[in-house]
Amino acid sequence: MSSKEFHPRPPQPEGIEIPAPTSSPFTCAFGLTLVAAGLVTQWVVTIIGFMLLIIGAIGWFREVHPDDQEEIARIQRGPLPITPRTSKVKRLMGQERHRQRIPAMIHPYSAGVWGGIIGGVVMAIVATIGSLIEHGSLWYACNLLSATILIGVESQTVEQLSQFSTTSFVVAMIIQSLMSVLVGLIYGVTLPMIPRFPLLFAAVFVPLVWSGLTWATISVINPLLQDNIDWLWFIGAQITYGIVTGWWIINTEKIGTMQNWSYLERVGIESPGIPEQGESDE
Amino acid sequence: MSTMDQKNQGLQSHAPGATFATRLHEWIATSDHKKLGVMYVTAGLIFFLIGGFEASMMRWQLSWPGLNVVGPEEFNRLFTMHGTTMVFLVGMPILLGVANYFVPLMIGARDLAFPRLNAFGFWLFLFGGLLLYYSYFGAQGLYGMGSSPDVGWFAYAPLTEKTFSRGHSTDYWILGIGISGFGSIATGINLIVTILCRRCPGMSLMKMPLFVWLMFIDAILIMIAMPPLTAAQVMLLFDRWLGAQFFDTQDGGSAVLWQNLFWFFGHPEVYILILPAFAYVSEIIPVFSRKVIFGYPLMVAATIAIGFISLGVWVHHMFALGLSPMVNAIFMGSTMLIAVPTGMKMFNWIATLYGGRILLHTPMLFSLGFLTQFLLGGLTGVMLAVVPFDWQVSDSYFVVGHFHYVLFGGLVFSIFAAIYYWLPKVSGRMLDEKIGKWHFWLLFIGFNLTFGPMHVSGMLGMPRRIYTYQADRGWELWNLLSSIGVLFQIAAILFFTYNVLNSLFRGKKAGDDPWDAWTLEWATTSPPPEYNFKEIPVVHSRRPLWDEKHPEDPDWKYE
Ligand code: HEM
Ligand SMILES: [Cu+2]
Repeated sequence: MSSKEFHPRPPQPEGIEIPAPTSSPFTCAFGLTLVAAGLVTQWVVTIIGFMLLIIGAIGWFREVHPDDQEEIARIQRGPLPITPRTSKVKRLMGQERHRQRIPAMIHPYSAGVWGGIIGGVVMAIVATIGSLIEHGSLWYACNLLSATILIGVESQTVEQLSQFSTTSFVVAMIIQSLMSVLVGLIYGVTLPMIPRFPLLFAAVFVPLVWSGLTWATISVINPLLQDNIDWLWFIGAQITYGIVTGWWIINTEKIGTMQNWSYLERVGIESPGIPEQGESDE
Repeated sequence: MSTMDQKNQGLQSHAPGATFATRLHEWIATSDHKKLGVMYVTAGLIFFLIGGFEASMMRWQLSWPGLNVVGPEEFNRLFTMHGTTMVFLVGMPILLGVANYFVPLMIGARDLAFPRLNAFGFWLFLFGGLLLYYSYFGAQGLYGMGSSPDVGWFAYAPLTEKTFSRGHSTDYWILGIGISGFGSIATGINLIVTILCRRCPGMSLMKMPLFVWLMFIDAILIMIAMPPLTAAQVMLLFDRWLGAQFFDTQDGGSAVLWQNLFWFFGHPEVYILILPAFAYVSEIIPVFSRKVIFGYPLMVAATIAIGFISLGVWVHHMFALGLSPMVNAIFMGSTMLIAVPTGMKMFNWIATLYGGRILLHTPMLFSLGFLTQFLLGGLTGVMLAVVPFDWQVSDSYFVVGHFHYVLFGGLVFSIFAAIYYWLPKVSGRMLDEKIGKWHFWLLFIGFNLTFGPMHVSGMLGMPRRIYTYQADRGWELWNLLSSIGVLFQIAAILFFTYNVLNSLFRGKKAGDDPWDAWTLEWATTSPPPEYNFKEIPVVHSRRPLWDEKHPEDPDWKYE
């Protein structure tokens, strides 16, 4: 393919043909409007409108039949020629080409999953320590968590909330593992996109925003639960999760995305003649 | 002399010293897509001022409980004319005008496929609009005085029947909108054929700028959605004049039929209005991020998906009607579905911004305003799609807040972005950046101050379309804030008007390509000559001007 972008066709000698000006469409449109306007004013208006419509239609017909009426437009000063830019375009992340999708290096998804699981375990431990210190019970935080789904838990007394309950335990386990893994995955995908201080984002920003959101909405979502949460421990547990998961993810080795691979490479076909991964050019 | 040449281009193509009559004739008889585009947008902006005036009167009336700035009948006319004007006489002509001007330029064509039909479409729109406004003088109201339609922009039956709407005001609504609707259909056909048949060599469908893709789908939606409205309007005319009973509930007609027909048009219509906004920001954001648009094929796919799904969600405007739970559930699902391709677009725009060298010129500011405000409007839309929630706030100010966030915060902001971006091409002169920033910030503050609080007053139970309210409802503060916001918006529009007029006469010369952009409209002069391109360009990629400017690293290597 040639790199010259505009192949000029031979320019027409005297000028360029464009449609000749015509007032027929105007007349037609005006006539049609008068036809309608007559319906709500005077019938003569409709008659006049109809006549105009006919006149316009005939004029229009003669404009395009047997041949389109054309007019020659005089050639005017052309645009300034487009010149190649001398200054080099800045490349993203020191890449060779301008079509780079960033982030070019990402963490594998597994990093997010593992980070989420480990963060979730440590978070549960912190929350349980909180329960132990505040209420002298191992199960308080666990029961509260299950109240997100279970009906009636939130109206229990502190006494009851401190008891072990199998249902609550199972439900809390499910919620905690699901959420931990999901948030871990989201962290894994987003952290490479944070330009500076990803750990700060993971460990402080997100937990605080999340806690704030919970705090602001819990009175609507679950008013009874509101009275039972120890906010300091809640925030502490969130931050712990953020630190552990974020730290884990950030310390896994980054891999390149497949953006520069050919389709064959992406589907995993290897054969002689196909360039090695990432080597392809066109 | 080159200055002389420049004077004689495009907009000013008449011979020097032409009389007023020849100039007028030139505009009336033109079939040049650029002149028609300019007339469309100018007319749209004038109607925008009229519609804005009507809105300001309503906000004045509602600024405090128990005011009597306008009476209840006048208030009904104001909201009817405001809504009708903004949708049919502002949104439609501006989107058609911008498409008229730039679709041929972007695809390297010399005009639309049917230039005379194009002129016909424009004049139908204009005369339809004028007919609608003539109702203020010509329509006989109850007391034999002229007055405008007062049945709301969706003109629900049976209020529109002869029994309830005496005189001719409703007829004016039907005829005026019907005629301008014909015009839209004509231009829609024209755009479709142009895009399919007039692309320059090398421009395959997947190499068209996203702008062109969006206007293509938009024109298809116009073709599908407008005829049912026109049909329903004709049925209504039959009801009113010939004694038919389509919508006459007292005579066995169905009011729900009108709602179905109207919203089968009405919902696609709101997407007809928002796709152009997507079109503008899809061009502007990449240029001012100095990056290529992220995920072009996905953007195209999302556009097609939006066009398709938007045809199947109309019943969400009728949730409060008492249809069966099954019907409600189905349309709740389809309505939520539309948020998926829309969300993809949001992410793609953000991904385009991400890592780019962002230039905060006025077009970009308005585009970013679009992104944030349209996002909020989309979110309240998804809330409204939840049937039980809709039952609580349907027909309240919450809905008014929702659709103004999408239409004003979305469409109007993007129109301003487009004007700041493309007016230099049209007039050859730049708009002032500093005044532009005043315009943006005042409008941003004013807009959010007016329409943000409406979500609150709506949740507090304030119904829409009431002309006043009592002081004990707790709505005062929110209404006052809304009305104060209007003052900021008026100031913003004054800045804008000054900026445009000032630039037309005294603006800095723009040159061919002021933004260092990549699509074909920037490859010709500003303003472009009547024939657009002396030689029809040949392209090899989605960004032909990039290839020209960067021969060492052209785009076609990646596409
Ligand atoms: C995520 C996308 C959207 C969803 C889910 C959505 C949902 C809804 C729903 C359910 C209603 C009916 C509320 C009611 O009357 O009770 C509504 C009203 C409305 N929406 Fe949207 N919407 C969306 C986007 C848009 C867009 C993009 C526009 C226009 C550009 C728009 C314009 C309107 C208008 C004008 C109304 C009110 C019509 C009227 O009653 O006068 N919406 N929307
Ligand atoms: Cu809708």
